Amino acid sequence: MLSALSYILLTIIIYQISAWCQRKTSAIWLNPMLLTISALIPIMLWQNISFQYYFAQTKELSNLLEPAVVALGYPLYQHLKTIKYHWRLFLSVLTLGVAVVVVISFTLSMALINIPEVAIALSYKSVTTPIGIALTDASGGNSAITAFAIILAGLFGALLGPSWLNYIGVRSAKAQGLAIGAASHALGTSTISKISYEHGAYGSLALIVSAMITAIIGPLLVDNFVLFYTTPL
Amino acid sequence: MNYVIIKNALYSIVAIMLCLYLGKTVHHAFGGLPGSLYGMIVLNIFLYFKMINAERLKATIEWIIKHMSVCFVPAGVGIIDHFDLVAQHGLAIVVVIFISTMALVTAVGLMVEKLSSASLENQSSDV
Repeated sequence: MLSALSYILLTIIIYQISAWCQRKTSAIWLNPMLLTISALIPIMLWQNISFQYYFAQTKELSNLLEPAVVALGYPLYQHLKTIKYHWRLFLSVLTLGVAVVVVISFTLSMALINIPEVAIALSYKSVTTPIGIALTDASGGNSAITAFAIILAGLFGALLGPSWLNYIGVRSAKAQGLAIGAASHALGTSTISKISYEHGAYGSLALIVSAMITAIIGPLLVDNFVLFYTTPL
Repeated sequence: MNYVIIKNALYSIVAIMLCLYLGKTVHHAFGGLPGSLYGMIVLNIFLYFKMINAERLKATIEWIIKHMSVCFVPAGVGIIDHFDLVAQHGLAIVVVIFISTMALVTAVGLMVEKLSSASLENQSSDV
């Protein structure tokens, strides 16, 4: 009991320090979760703590993932009111976008890496972390890879998204917000909300709606892809 | 200490756990999505039909969303067991993430830019 509590406390303290570092420097790439993981791994290697042991001790922290997903229903509810008039546009564009990203991620990973667990993980990397991890576990993927892939997808979209969209002539706040929210979830959204309030609003709308769409159509695509790739001809 | 904050926090926790367990029940009955995602939909339905007071949830849920990423740390630490995988395929993994993320940004950005200017024209012709 004492041990479990101390591992959870250690994790929270390192996380708080990392979050403080990011607030002080306001550097996007100083992601608190990434920093915490990079600080914990050397400690665990040095103290010879296995992942199984650490994960078992901090189980209560991981158990909070489920209520966190439920809590995301609140921003979704708030946005449902605003998309009432454009729901056809939003739903069709985001559904198409999600389908494209899942298909590209899965087939490209199978072509380059050829490990189904990794391909599953990379297929779910555009959504917010609790949902991505839940979906990866449900499809039998490697959720440690998902956790990292989600941060990287967030960083790419947040750092390169706005200038790339400007370059290809996509300049409206609505299009930029939806594109970066769909691809780079909360990380991208929090970055672009500094450009304008509208960017942030459309970003969080896209992040929550595309996560819902991924949860519904993602497993259909991914589970069939896995069957297709793993069934011997 | 503000009494209302504590009451609303307890109200929110009970509401979230209720939705989570209803969601898990749905998962056990029908399968499909993970139970927590059904719970998210259940919360939406309750909020939509005003069975849960949205105002009372606001502060607690904003707090949860702001701090929830600490809960993802243990899952991420799992990478420690996959160092060989990262050493062997790390570059390919980064390439896949980069290409698919930029493809999604481009696809959604271009579609919204094209379609929303079209739908705005439709709207004005309706009026």
